[in-house]
Amino acid sequence: MSCEKYDWKAYALGELAANERREAEGHAATCEGCRGELAHVRLTIDTLSALREEEVPRRIAFVSDKVFEPRWWDVFLRPSFAAALVLAAAILMHGYLTRPPAVDSAAIQAQVNQAVTRAVANVERQNADLEGQVTLLYATQTGIRRQ
Amino acid sequence: MIFREVEDRDLIAKARKGDVEAYNLLVSRWEKRVFNYLLRLVSNREDAMDVSQEVFLKAYQSLPKLDDVERFGAWLFRIAHNEAFSLLRRRKPEGEMPVERGNQGRGLLPIELSLAVEKALGRLTDEQREAVLLKVYQGFKFEEMAEILSCPVSTVKSRLYTALDLLKATLCEVNHEL
Repeated sequence: MSCEKYDWKAYALGELAANERREAEGHAATCEGCRGELAHVRLTIDTLSALREEEVPRRIAFVSDKVFEPRWWDVFLRPSFAAALVLAAAILMHGYLTRPPAVDSAAIQAQVNQAVTRAVANVERQNADLEGQVTLLYATQTGIRRQ
Repeated sequence: MIFREVEDRDLIAKARKGDVEAYNLLVSRWEKRVFNYLLRLVSNREDAMDVSQEVFLKAYQSLPKLDDVERFGAWLFRIAHNEAFSLLRRRKPEGEMPVERGNQGRGLLPIELSLAVEKALGRLTDEQREAVLLKVYQGFKFEEMAEILSCPVSTVKSRLYTALDLLKATLCEVNHEL
C-alpha cells in the first residue's frame, strides 16, 4: 500500500513541481509501499510506449481544395501580375514619348484630291490624243479607198 | 523546441494572411500526431484519415479566431477532439466496438506488445482512452488537456488515473512483469 499523500501517477507523468518532486523522492527512499506503487505506474506507462506510431497513409494538403483557391482580387497582389503591370506601363510610356508627329488629315485629303484630278486630266488628255489619232487614221483610209 | 515554436508561430502568421504553403508546412509538422491520436480514438484508419482532413480544414478556416498562437497545439487538438467525438456519437447507435485483435501471451515480440497495448486501450471508454492519448502519447499538461476537453483538471485526472489503473490490470494479463 502506498501513502495517500503522494500522487505517484502525477509524479511519473511529470506533473509535479520541483519541490513536490523532491519531497516525494525523499519519501519514496524510505517507503517500500510507495516505491512499489511508483514502479507499477512507471511500468504501465513504459508498456504503453510500446504502441507503434503509425505513418499517415497519405499526405494531408489542401492546395487544390476550394477553400484554398485565391480570391479574385488576390491576382492583383501577385508579384508576377505587378511585374506585368510595370512592363505594360513602360511599353505605354515608350510609345507615348516616341510617337510620330500629328497627321493633318485635311491636308492629306487635299493632296489626294489633287492627285486624283491630275490623274483624271492625264487620262482625258490621253483619250483625246487617241481619239485624234483614230480620226486621222480613219480619214486617211477613207481617202485612199476613194482614190 | 523553442526554435520550432518560433517557426510554428511564423507559419501561423503567414497562413493567417492566406499563405497556403505556410499552412501546408504546418500541417506536415502536426499531421502525424493528430492522425495517431485520432486513429487510437476512433480505431479505424480511414475514419482517422477523413477526420484528420476535416480537422486541418477547420483549423485553417478558424485560424483568425486563434487568440494565442503559443497554444496552437492544444487548440488544434481541441478541434480534433470535437471532430472525433462527433464521429463517435454518430457511431453509437450502431453499437460499434473497437476492433479486437488476436490473443496475446507472455514473452511478447514488440509488434505483439504493440497490439496488446492497442487491445488494452480499446477496452477503455472513449473518454478514458482519450485522456491516455493526450497525456502519455501527446505529452500535454493537465491544464492543456482540460482546455482541449473543456472540463476541469480534476475530471482530466480522474479519467486518466482510472484509465491507468485499468490498463495496469489489463496489461498484467499479457506481461507477467506488471
